[in-house]
Amino acid sequence: MRLGGSDPHTLAGAYAMDAVSEPDRARFERHLAGCESCRQEIRGLREATAALAAAAAVQPSDAFRDAALRAAAQTRQLPPAVGQAPESWTAGDRGRRRSELRGWRSRLAVGVAGALAAVALAGGVVTYGMQHRLDQAQLHDHAVAAVLSAPDAAMMTAPVRTGGTATVVMSHRERVLVFTAVDLRLLPAAQSYELWLIGPAGSRPAGMVPGPAHGGMADPMVVSGLRAGDRVGLTVEPAGGSPRPTSPPVVLVSLGGTH
Amino acid sequence: MTEGQGRRGTGRSRAARGDAGQVPRTSPSPFTGARGHADELGALLALVARGDQDAYRAFFDRTARHVLGTVLAVVRDPAQSEEVAQEVLLEVWRSASRFDASLGSAAAWVATLAHRRAVDRVRSEQKAAERELRVPSSSVAYDEVTEAVEARLDRERVRRCLGALTELQRESVTLAYYGGYTYREVAELLGVAVGTVKTRMRDGLIRLRDCLGVDS
Repeated sequence: MRLGGSDPHTLAGAYAMDAVSEPDRARFERHLAGCESCRQEIRGLREATAALAAAAAVQPSDAFRDAALRAAAQTRQLPPAVGQAPESWTAGDRGRRRSELRGWRSRLAVGVAGALAAVALAGGVVTYGMQHRLDQAQLHDHAVAAVLSAPDAAMMTAPVRTGGTATVVMSHRERVLVFTAVDLRLLPAAQSYELWLIGPAGSRPAGMVPGPAHGGMADPMVVSGLRAGDRVGLTVEPAGGSPRPTSPPVVLVSLGGTH
Repeated sequence: MTEGQGRRGTGRSRAARGDAGQVPRTSPSPFTGARGHADELGALLALVARGDQDAYRAFFDRTARHVLGTVLAVVRDPAQSEEVAQEVLLEVWRSASRFDASLGSAAAWVATLAHRRAVDRVRSEQKAAERELRVPSSSVAYDEVTEAVEARLDRERVRRCLGALTELQRESVTLAYYGGYTYREVAELLGVAVGTVKTRMRDGLIRLRDCLGVDS
């Protein structure tokens, strides 16, 4: 396998020092999986990086130590992994992020289910139109779930300048992302939040952000068709949206990687 | 021996080591050059995986300064660094059972977790412009009074071995490891071709490994 047109082995040093982008890392790890001599080399290089870590040693304070030991005493440990990929040494680390994603996903699912239940209760009976809406909601929910459960899903959060927090869950492989925001400042009726993909070639509208539905969280939006260098931006626009942003973004999220 | 500052864990860890004594102590340590240190850490980690809090304390006292120092080197901001270092050390406790000794020593595992988490933090914030270049020989902060003897030995060995690299190798390695930069960023900073930087990083680390006498 070749990385960027060169011998993948040359990436071993950069990889062992985390001096690689996420896509480079993923590609190199796929290469590692089938290359015993590479794994052997990485093992040696990691011992060298451990020495670099040791050379930077700084004695923590007593308060730091007490806090860490207390946290451990109150935290349940992970069971041993079964069938862990040999090259993913920091799988525990990833497991944490996975579980954060899962937590986020179940909050979303609860939110969506709650909204549907409220609709059903208000109507008393499920009409054809409502069934259609439920189906649409489920389809949408499936699209959201597909992104959240993508193997390379990565979550980014950023504060919104005017209040609230934006969250993007991104799958570089699928070139798709889910956007949502909580506690956005309420806008006057004449204005709405609009989402944009902002790339080197300009801004493309990515949809109007629905008002907060449940718990102050905007219904998640699925945005596909990402291109290299895209960032996600949110602007305040006249209600109904604009073909181009007419105000500076209140939040801008870099997606990292090169897709 | 009295337990002075910076050696706090020694007495406790000896008591907590328990069945760690069964492990043959033959391999040289990447940390100290003393024989057996690495294997003891691995044995402690095996106890930690079974929920042994004394073993965790002992493990903490041997590795927390490496974790904090590494994170500080990359993240720079002390408050954020402490937060990240706490996360890493809690991750050690949580996922001790996931440690696979066939992939490297416990010391390397902890260092990898710490560095990875530090790099994730700075890259997710994309504050590269606010970070200054960090050259470890002059700017790694440490207090000689509280520093353990072995930590000083580590530092001197690594400094000596770094001194044996070519300038480009050394710059590539230190900017990547202590600066938290990607190889592309390092190439940009040094005004050198990307391919050259990749090669220098690998050659530099290999030389460092050989100089330190690290088992692989």
